[in-house]
Amino acid sequence: MPKVTRWFIKAGILYFIAGVVLALLSEVPGVKAAPLLLPVYWHMLVMGWITQVIMGVSIWMFPRKHRDRKKRESLLTWLAFWFLNTGLILRFLAEPFIPVIQQSTSITVVILLSSILQVLAIVFYIAEIWPRLMQDKKRKRS
Amino acid sequence: MPLPSIWLLRSSLICFLISTIIGALILSSKVITIHPAIWSLLPVHFELAIWGWIIQFVLGTAYWMFPKKLEGERRGNPLVATVMVVLFNAGLILLILSNFTETISLQLSLSGRSLITASILIFAFLIWSRVVTYRNLKH
Repeated sequence: MPKVTRWFIKAGILYFIAGVVLALLSEVPGVKAAPLLLPVYWHMLVMGWITQVIMGVSIWMFPRKHRDRKKRESLLTWLAFWFLNTGLILRFLAEPFIPVIQQSTSITVVILLSSILQVLAIVFYIAEIWPRLMQDKKRKRS
Repeated sequence: MPLPSIWLLRSSLICFLISTIIGALILSSKVITIHPAIWSLLPVHFELAIWGWIIQFVLGTAYWMFPKKLEGERRGNPLVATVMVVLFNAGLILLILSNFTETISLQLSLSGRSLITASILIFAFLIWSRVVTYRNLKH
């Protein structure tokens, strides 16, 4: 299993645990932050956990275009990992405070940066995986 | 990798990108002024993320990686698999379009869900016989 896959899956497990704990906390009577935490909880599970496991495993299992290439992890996969996780962490740290801290320049910058990082991470991941989606006979010819 | 898997996976990647861009716009609209209609794209963001990205990616990967049959067509009839891909994506498009119209929204979403259901039934039919192990097979 390539190193980047291990990082994707371990990061995914951490988000999974955090998401489950968050869901548990939001059920505790008297916790008023539950509606604010809802988007954080959903994105921890869908982007943090499920999507990261899919990305990590596909980078590992999907056949590379050139089988003889020894390098199993491209720059694109690491960029996807760091951009996605930085984007997600910034989002999870800032999003619950948007309604609380109105008109804050720092929150605005962090949220915009998070949005850009997440989109770029997906672009990098697609750029890595898209060329691998080809029929076996075409791969052998290339 | 078989062609139906390639189509499902490519479509799922496109859905993933669109869903992420919509999500990023919705998130950004919480701190800066973007068009107010951006929030009406929230259901599209959900549908594309769950059905377009995650489920479609799993379908494509399972169709490719599950054990192949020992006789006949290795992954079942490829024409049936092609129909599955077309129905799934046609259903997804109708489901997305149902968010942009009020007059025929219900008809579009019902048709979309019906096509996706039909596609999933075909997937189950194709994959059922491939949920096997050949480990105990006597040569």
